[in-house]
This record gives sequence, C-alpha cells and structure tokens, in this order.
Amino acid sequence: MAHEMSGAPVSGILVVGGGISGITTALEAAEVGHEVFIVEKNPYLGGRVAQLYKYFPKLCPPACGLEINFQRIKKNRNVKYFTLTEVEKISGAPGNYDVTLKETPGYVNSNCTCCGKCAEACDVEIPNEFNFGMDKTKAAYLPHEMAFPQRYVLHPSILGTSAAQKCKDACQYNAIDLDMKPKTFTLKVASIVWATGWNPYDAKKIDNLSFGKVKNVITNIMMERLAAPNGPTKGKIVRPSDGKAVQNIAFVQCAGSRDENHLPFCSYICCLASLKQTTYIREANPKSKATIFYIDLRTPGRYEKFYKKVKADTNVSFVKGKVAKIEEDASTGDVLVTVEDTLAGKKLHEKFDMVVLAAGMEPSTSAVKVPGNAKYDENNFVISGEILSTGCVRKPCDVMSSGQTATGAALKAIQMLGRR
Amino acid sequence: MAEANVIKPDLEFVKKIMNSGGESLKKCYQCATCSVVCNVTPEDKPFPRKEMIQAQWGLKDKLFSNPDIWLCHQCSDCTAYCPRGAKPGEVLGAIRKLSIEHYAFPSFLGKAVGDPKYLLGLLAVPVVIFLTVLGYLGHLRIPEGEISYAEKFMPVLAVEAIFIAAALFACLGFFAGVVRYWRDLKSGAELSTNKWQRMVKGPIPVIIINTILEFMTHRRFQKCEVTKDRSNAHMFVFFGFAGLAIAAVWALVYLYGYEFFGIKTSGIFNFGLSPYPLHDPMKIFANISALALFAGILQVIMNRKNNAEKAGNGSYYDWLFISIILTIVTTGILSEVLRLADIAALAYPVYFIHLVFVFFLFAYAPFSKMAHMAYRTTALVFAKYSGREDKKYS
Repeated sequence: MAHEMSGAPVSGILVVGGGISGITTALEAAEVGHEVFIVEKNPYLGGRVAQLYKYFPKLCPPACGLEINFQRIKKNRNVKYFTLTEVEKISGAPGNYDVTLKETPGYVNSNCTCCGKCAEACDVEIPNEFNFGMDKTKAAYLPHEMAFPQRYVLHPSILGTSAAQKCKDACQYNAIDLDMKPKTFTLKVASIVWATGWNPYDAKKIDNLSFGKVKNVITNIMMERLAAPNGPTKGKIVRPSDGKAVQNIAFVQCAGSRDENHLPFCSYICCLASLKQTTYIREANPKSKATIFYIDLRTPGRYEKFYKKVKADTNVSFVKGKVAKIEEDASTGDVLVTVEDTLAGKKLHEKFDMVVLAAGMEPSTSAVKVPGNAKYDENNFVISGEILSTGCVRKPCDVMSSGQTATGAALKAIQMLGRR
Repeated sequence: MAEANVIKPDLEFVKKIMNSGGESLKKCYQCATCSVVCNVTPEDKPFPRKEMIQAQWGLKDKLFSNPDIWLCHQCSDCTAYCPRGAKPGEVLGAIRKLSIEHYAFPSFLGKAVGDPKYLLGLLAVPVVIFLTVLGYLGHLRIPEGEISYAEKFMPVLAVEAIFIAAALFACLGFFAGVVRYWRDLKSGAELSTNKWQRMVKGPIPVIIINTILEFMTHRRFQKCEVTKDRSNAHMFVFFGFAGLAIAAVWALVYLYGYEFFGIKTSGIFNFGLSPYPLHDPMKIFANISALALFAGILQVIMNRKNNAEKAGNGSYYDWLFISIILTIVTTGILSEVLRLADIAALAYPVYFIHLVFVFFLFAYAPFSKMAHMAYRTTALVFAKYSGREDKKYS
C-alpha cells in the first residue's frame, strides 16, 4: 500500500478512530465519492461496539451491523484504513493538512489466513485486553472472533523470545515477520474527523464502591463481555471469585457519573445499559433477580418503552437511592451494598452475588489529546471546530446518536474539501 | 392517606439557611450518598438527605422538632462524598445556627449574635460596663508599681458581680431555650407514627449521665472520617474549658477560704488574694488548661483551613465563635505573661480585652455557637430517651 501521498491533490478526509462513529463517517463520505482514510490504534476496527453483547433497545447483536459496515469498507475503493496506527502530528489548516502517522508492528502480514497454528504453538499467555483481563489469551492471537481485518497479531512482549520463534516456525504461509519495525508516514488531507470514542471511567477511583477490592464487583462494560457468547465465560454469567452462577445481581447507577468528584456529566447510556443487562441475566439464569439502584432513571425518548418492558419483569426491582458503600462478605464472597431507599427513608444493607457498577464514559481525549489544533469543553470532549469530532469523543452518546453525529461530521468534512 | 398533605414551602426560611452558610443547599439532587457515608446516622430515616429536601422546601418545623440536626457532628464525610457540592455538613450547620436563633430568649439576641452587623453593638455592652466600673473606681489609667489586676485595676468583687450576672442571664436563656426545644421535640415525636420515637430507653437521669460520658470520651465524634483530627482538637478545647472552669472554682476557694474562714497558706496551697505563685497546684492546673485550650483552638483553625476544600469554609457564625475563644485564650495567657514581665502599659489593656471577651462568651452563650453544648446535649438525651439513637451508640 502506498503510504506516501505527497504530490497528490489534497482532497482526502482523515477519520481518526475506527469505531462505529469513525466507520460511519468514513463510509458516508466515501460512498458519495470522497477519498477517506481511517486510522485505528487497535489491530481491528469496530471499537467499543465490537465488545458489546447486544444493542439496546432492540437487543440484537452488534456483530451484524459491524459485518455490514466491514463489507461496505471492503467494497469501497475510496476507503483506506490503517490499523495499529496513531496520529503523531497534525500541521496545516482545514483544506490542507499534513498528518504524521505512526504504525506499530503487529508482526503478522497480509498473508495470514487465520489458521491459528501460531497460537497453538505459542506457549505464552497474556491477559485478554478485549475481555478486560477477565481471561487470558495466547500471545499470538486474533483480537476477537469478528476482528476485521481478520489477522492475528503477536504481542510485543514475546518478541525476541523462543515463543515468538515457535509462532514463526508454525506458520505455513510466511505470514509472521519478526523484523517488522514501527513505521512513520505522512498523509495530506483536507479535513480531519476525530472519532476516538471513550474509555470506561476508572472505577477504582470511586473508593467507596470498592471496585478492584471486592472481587465480585465488575463494571457494566465487563458485564457485556461476561454475557457475550465469545466472552471469557462463553456467555455464562458467573461471578469472578468462584464461578458461581449469578442469581442475585445489583446494578449501581451513576458510578462516577453526575459526580463532581469524578465525571460531572451524565454519561447518557448507563441507565439503558443496566436495563439491557438485566435482560442478559434474566435470560441466562431464569431464576435470577436483579435490582437497579438509581438516583433517577434516564430513558430519553422512545427508550421509555424499553424501561417499561424491563419493569414489567417482576424479578427486576428498582430502588431509588445511590449506593455509597460496598463491602465484601469475606466468608462467602458475597457483596454487601449499603444504600438509603429514599422513598422509604430507610437504610438498606443488601447482599448480592455480584454487583455491576454502571461506570460512565470518559472521552478518550481525557487521556490522549489531539496532537493538533482542537477545542475541548470543560470535560475534555472535543468540540467540532477546525478539527471535527463525532461520536463519544464529542459527547456521551449511544450507538444511534453516534451514527447521527457521524453523518453530520461527514457532511462537514466534505464541506471543508472546498477550502484551500 | 385520606387527606391531602399540603406542603407549604417557607421561602424566607430557605433564604435564611442559604445566608447562614448553607448557600449550596439547592445543588442537592437527593441521591442519598450522604446518608450512607455518615457513620453516626440512624438506620431509619437517616440524616442528612431528608434534612436537605426539608431545607429546600423550607420546612422549618420538621427540621427543628427533631433531634437529628444535633446528632450530626459536622465531620463532613457527607460533604466530601457529595457528588454535587451541596455540602450537607455546612447546610446542617446553618440549620443548627437557625435553630439556636429560633429558641433564643430573648429572641433579638439570637438574631444579633448571628449577624455581623450587630457585632460592634454586642461588644459595646461589656466595654461600657467595664469602663463604667473602672471610671467609678477611678482606675481609668495604667496603675503604677507591681502589676496586680485585682488590687489596682478590677476588684474581684466587681468581676464576680458582673460575671455572675452574665452567667445567670445566660442560664435563663439556656433554660428558656432548652425547655421550648424539649417541648417541640416531644410534640414532634407524638405527631410521628414512627416506632423509634415511642420506645423509651430508660430513666432520664441515667440517659443524661450516659450522654455526658459520651461527651467526655468524644465517642460519637470519633466516628467521623474525613475530618478525624477535628474530634481531637475539640477534645483539647473541651477539656481546656473544663479545666479552666475547675481552676476558677478552685481560685474562689483560695479567695473566700482566706477572706471568710481565715485559712492561710496551707502546705502547697496558697490561700489568699490573686495573683497566686506559679508553683501553686491551682496555678499549674490552670496554666495547663489554658495551654490545652490554646493548642486546641489553634488546631481547630488549622483543621478548618486544611479541610476547607472538602468540608467548606465555615460561616460567620462558626468563625465568630472560634475568634472569641481564640481572643479569650490569647489575652488570658498574655495577661499572665505581661504581668510577670512587668509591662504595665500592655498588661492592663490586654486584661481589659480579656474581660470584655469573657463577658461576650458568657452573656451571649445561649445565642452563639456555644449554645451547641446545651442543644446538642438536649437532642442526644432526647434521642436516647425516645429510642432515636441506635443501640450501638447508647
């Protein structure tokens, strides 16, 4: 692939981030005839959506939507994508940007057929990042079943060891190249759309909720992996400490959101995500009971219907009050939750098999800023300006709104092409 | 639920809370984090979440006819964890101030002590009283020779007459306030259908002794987490005061033991007129108490500064009380030091200021934050009496 684009007329659009927002922006622009580059730091496209078990409110798997989008990318010559790549530097202005990109090696080239022989031969295991470390994977691995591009990667930690050599020897297609080096290259583009999405808020910072101290406290995004058939437990909802099937689960809303000590804003999706996740547990373990502890449930627009649907299940209960203390029953591993039921005016001390913290969304730009002239709001979300933004790096939003902001960003990006 | 329960918000009262240090009140969105992180709140109808909504609606009677605002020691655990910066600790502090004002007798003094406008007027009262006495005695100048406050400046009899009058005035205020508060507490409990308010836990004298023992050990106060050091600081202030009170009585024994019973210096005890020698046990005890009070109040100030970010800055009412104590203890210690250093030009004026501020503390005790000692005791006794306090603390 010709990475050096200098000399070509400046007409391209750079989309940074290959999640649902970035992919949508890229396809919307590409399908009306514009040249688009997607840059993604992971070895695969699909972003957070790829980690979800189901979408709300339809409860369909995201795999099907991603599949369609990957087909659209494959069939469209206007879209080029670079995985394992990050933006190092941006110079210039709308209409004429010079962008420096850095690609880190995955040590596997396009010869890879995903036969899996390298993983079989590999004798080193690493925590599985895709599953938030809830299980392990070989150090030669396919990031996840649906990974696009379908290509294995070697974890850099095994480089120079005999394990790496074993992987190379096992490959019949000459796909493993242990001499791959980081590559820096430049692109000339007319507009840039930032679509780097979000990170789950680090729940360890909410000290009274004991995430990381009490074993059976997990976060909502971990719950997605736990419920997913391609997750660490193959879709069985069992608790981390002892693998016991979860029969009594609590969801703690606003874990870090709407809290000036953590994220002062509402993360928009957590109420729906918890409502959705009650359906996971109710389906997986039919005798189970779920309790949602909330300040107020936010189900905007048509999502109110979804709330009513979940509420109709008598095994799902709702308690108005924010959980502010979580402890472990050391003998059983059960989780003790303290909350004031504000409608009854009583403190409750309840015991659950597992507790899910509805942790909020932090824009990825809280951790890594745009290496160019971007504007931020007070919470580090990127405001569309000279550098455009879309999806969850722009505001906390669900997949549907991500798609909408992406379409808008595509239009703005196209409008910038006329500027010189 | 046959009758509609119509709530009449008292907007004036809401404004009063906001002007008394509870300006963050309206930020509360009733999540109840505060009720959970509080280590001293009961299980049933826990505070301070319910106080926050009652305060937002201005439900004065509900807030006052209830011991809960005084069960709070304002350790600020709630304020530190509050997701909205609503500062429940500060709001409850403001409500306590208004409660003191509400039960104040005479009521205009309740308002005056809480309002910076009247500070100079309040100070003028003791200034005028002491100046009048000094003028009458012809002591309105710096006396010559060896410094003796009692002999050359303000006779013990005058000091005692003025302070006993001030103390009686304060006792009257306390009595009237506490009686009215107790009556409201009882009627609040009778109106309530909650069973906690019907379970009598034992005879009142036993409960009072229990409550006082609890104060001595600061058992409740020590359950606070965010501002843990506050309970230690308060302990120093508390015992500093207690020690000085004992020393004052002790000094009276020296004085009247000599004057009425003719007891002269016996053993190590120096009966007679002040000043007493530094090696006298009473003097040693008094000096240690003064230093404890000084160390305590300095620590209170430092804690407040250090915790300001998490616990709030405190109100005029808080700082007035702290300033009064700080002034009393510094002028008290300085009076002694300056006397020993024989710097008359400074010693007498400093002693004068000392008297003025001690009067301020005494006479206005039922209206200043000092009143917390009476109202908190009443509330805790009632809480134990009515079963409002959890077993673990009673």
